[in-house]
Amino acid sequence: MNIQYIGEHLLPGQFGNLFLVLSFTAALLSCIAYYFASNQNNLENNSWKSIGRTAFYLHGLSVFAVMGILFYIIFNHYFEYQYVWQHSSKSLPIRYMLSCFWEGQEGSFLLWSIWHVILGFILMRKTGNFEAPVMTVFSSVQVFLSSMLLGIYIGDYHLGSNPFILLREHPEYMELPFVKVPEYLTNLDGRGLNPLLQNYWMTIHPPILFLGFASTLVPFAFAMAGLWKKQHNEWVTPALPWTYFGVMILGTGILMGGAWAYESLSFGGFWAWDPVENASLVPWLVMVGGAHVMLIYKSRKQSLFTAYVLVILTFILILYSTFLTRSGILGNTSVHAFTDLGMSGQLLVYLLFYVVIAAFLLIINYKSINVDTLEDNSTSREFWMFIAALVLLISSFQITFTTSIPVINKLFGSNLAPPTKVVEHYNSWQIPFAIIVALLMALTQFLKYKQSDLKITFKKLIVSLSIAIVVTAISIFALELYNGFLIALFFASFLAITTNIDYIFKVLNGEIKKAGASVAHIGFGMILLGALIATGKSRVISQNTSGIDISKLGKEFNNMENIMLAKHDTLQMGEYFLSYKGRRIEGVNHYFDIDYFQRNEKGKYELAFTLSPIVQTNPRMGNSAEPDTKHYLHKDVYTHITYAEMEQHDETNHNHNNDNGYKPFTSATMAIGDTIFGSKSLIVLEKIYKETDSLKYHFGANDIAVGATFKIIDIHNKVTIANPIYLIKGNVANPIDAEVENMGIKLSFKNIHPDNGKIDIDLSEKDTGSQEFIILKAIVFPYINILWLGCVIMIIGTVLAIRERLKKSKFNIA
Amino acid sequence: MKKIHIIILVVIAISIAAIMSTVADSSTYATFSVALNNEGDEYHVVGKYVKDKGIEYNPEQNANLCVFYLKDNENKELKVIYNGAKPQDFEMSEQIVVTGKAEKGVFMADKILMKCPSKYNNTSDPSKTTNSSDT
Repeated sequence: MNIQYIGEHLLPGQFGNLFLVLSFTAALLSCIAYYFASNQNNLENNSWKSIGRTAFYLHGLSVFAVMGILFYIIFNHYFEYQYVWQHSSKSLPIRYMLSCFWEGQEGSFLLWSIWHVILGFILMRKTGNFEAPVMTVFSSVQVFLSSMLLGIYIGDYHLGSNPFILLREHPEYMELPFVKVPEYLTNLDGRGLNPLLQNYWMTIHPPILFLGFASTLVPFAFAMAGLWKKQHNEWVTPALPWTYFGVMILGTGILMGGAWAYESLSFGGFWAWDPVENASLVPWLVMVGGAHVMLIYKSRKQSLFTAYVLVILTFILILYSTFLTRSGILGNTSVHAFTDLGMSGQLLVYLLFYVVIAAFLLIINYKSINVDTLEDNSTSREFWMFIAALVLLISSFQITFTTSIPVINKLFGSNLAPPTKVVEHYNSWQIPFAIIVALLMALTQFLKYKQSDLKITFKKLIVSLSIAIVVTAISIFALELYNGFLIALFFASFLAITTNIDYIFKVLNGEIKKAGASVAHIGFGMILLGALIATGKSRVISQNTSGIDISKLGKEFNNMENIMLAKHDTLQMGEYFLSYKGRRIEGVNHYFDIDYFQRNEKGKYELAFTLSPIVQTNPRMGNSAEPDTKHYLHKDVYTHITYAEMEQHDETNHNHNNDNGYKPFTSATMAIGDTIFGSKSLIVLEKIYKETDSLKYHFGANDIAVGATFKIIDIHNKVTIANPIYLIKGNVANPIDAEVENMGIKLSFKNIHPDNGKIDIDLSEKDTGSQEFIILKAIVFPYINILWLGCVIMIIGTVLAIRERLKKSKFNIA
Repeated sequence: MKKIHIIILVVIAISIAAIMSTVADSSTYATFSVALNNEGDEYHVVGKYVKDKGIEYNPEQNANLCVFYLKDNENKELKVIYNGAKPQDFEMSEQIVVTGKAEKGVFMADKILMKCPSKYNNTSDPSKTTNSSDT
């Protein structure tokens, strides 16, 4: 088949492929050259080293070139490339172009690779004697990452997935008829970026998360270099600030993921123990443990073996989490579920390669690094720091094990499904771990290395301890915390905050610059405290009270968390009264405007706020709901649509049946001043008068028209006036109804009783069943701001700690 | 015995407890016939929504109740009563995982996980399901 295609731009792709191959070979060359360089003693004049450097520069530039070209074809809408066609479209705003870049698997591997390159460039210049071994490890990782993008066939095996493959050559689309037409490009538009990802989170979250992933490679490379070159004492100092850096960046990435989920995905919270979230949390926990054990080694020359294991494990877990999320193995357990691009085998090889090498190096060095084990003194600071690191390790083991259920099924052919009550399952383990960690965070800094006098320590702690006890006691009642674990966690995390504040002022004399660790601990304590209150005391306020009692269907079957709200209807929900005003459509987004009213001191209803949760229409991938949240200082009111009819509600449709959709509601005989009750309004008869406007109501001089003025007060205290007319036209009664459309109310003036001055009134109301409605779920998260503030404080603390480490470190790194 | 040895033993004990609790808490992927034979036990059932029979959902009466039929991987059809709002785009789903238990010949679900055509998917190709079913 030889079709001359029109309008294709093949040159960028050819250059792209050239640079892909170049990046792979240069990484390989750099790895080999650095390997030989590390075996040479003459460090000053080492030709292998300069080859290694040059090759790594070449590799780095190629990766940047690949990135530039990929961006260029996305920017120019060259839909002949499958990646561009798949992830972007002509109508896509420029601000989302970056998101397209890393929406696909190839782009995200590229992003990861770029961070490695940047970190490698810094390390090459700054690591002195460690350059050759560290860069050997670095470039070996780059060999693997570059191979993921090669997309070449070796025999039948497909190595990597190429971002520059043409649409018409892609195995899945090459048989489609339209790619066989020479001018197929003329009207071709891309499929566009998943609307769910068209927000600023998608622009900032992946780069930070991948920088976090990439940063774990640095301490790993140092640890491997230390093992390999038997420099067990030397690697810790330069690696420590990088470990802190990783803790900070990966932590920021994870928390941002939580904030993204909370703000714009309808998971109903900021943490759902979803496998994808767990996959990035676990390496972070292990890295935090690793950083602390490294610190023990630096101060006391103990626990080196554990330091090695934790640092190595952090990187291995990053690879494992990549495997979990990219191999499609999580299919049935995660809402994220990424598809398999046929690279799971490759990822597995990559993972096992480092597991085997690291295990081998640890075993052959075991004797030399296991000499100084932890001293047996339980009043020392290092003892409890070590315990804290172990708790973090067990905690991550528990998370990993449950998250790995699909892997276990694959390995053993079992048929396990994740726990039904998955959040409760994780919490039942992680809350006790959090309590221990928080207590250790609170107390350990007051202990001295080697040995401490417990009496002195206790004296130092007495103030913070008393404050924490008093505040906890008050909070038990104020927040109604009636669960032992929650009370213990409250106390422990509050104590962690008070003791660390105390430490900054008493021990460090308020020198914030040196207080990195304490500040970070305060932040982490606040995260635990905020998470505890916000989730432990979150209230689903959208409890349905009407309707069939489904709890009789089953004992555990009473989780009624959604309510129905019809347009213009008002419903009580917790302390609020909700009124659904209607929908606005902007592009793919349907905004549902909901007014929240609250009763003030005078008993009047006041508009508290309006929320506009979104349902995003997405014909290709399914509609998705995006919550809207009212943020107060002390609580958040979170609302999302669980169900809405997405076809435009056709009002005219309902006007055909029974009297324009009105149903008789009540009939009454009323005197002036009498009130009747509508389903959501009060209707007061104000006056009866003789109507004289004959033109408006088309009556003649001999006809009689009597009007009645009604005051209709709705639940928001809004007053509407309605004037139904009783008209006698030539002896025939001919009432003219008054309709209040926005309230769905119609009044008919049926009769006058001349004897007592009363009148007969029929009230009809619009049938809500035929009205547009939404189903929503609303949750109040109290004090969630403590959590977010804690995140910021923890990040600041880590930055301070890095600065302090860099000052102390004899190598001048970064 | 040094303290470190005690610590190591404790660590091992907790790890084993964690493994056991995961196994104990975990549910099982099963078919409707298994669920019906073991009424009251929690299962995950993977299946497809039976479109012809429709879904019954009357939010005016109860916003937290929908009833539909699901055909499992052995092509057995069963009535599913789900305690929650009708999921958005229910009809579009390609595959559904329901979590719950069989009771009196119907399946009481308290959780639904839908696999829409490549929702949340990085490689969004409708011709491919996200999970070619590991079950």
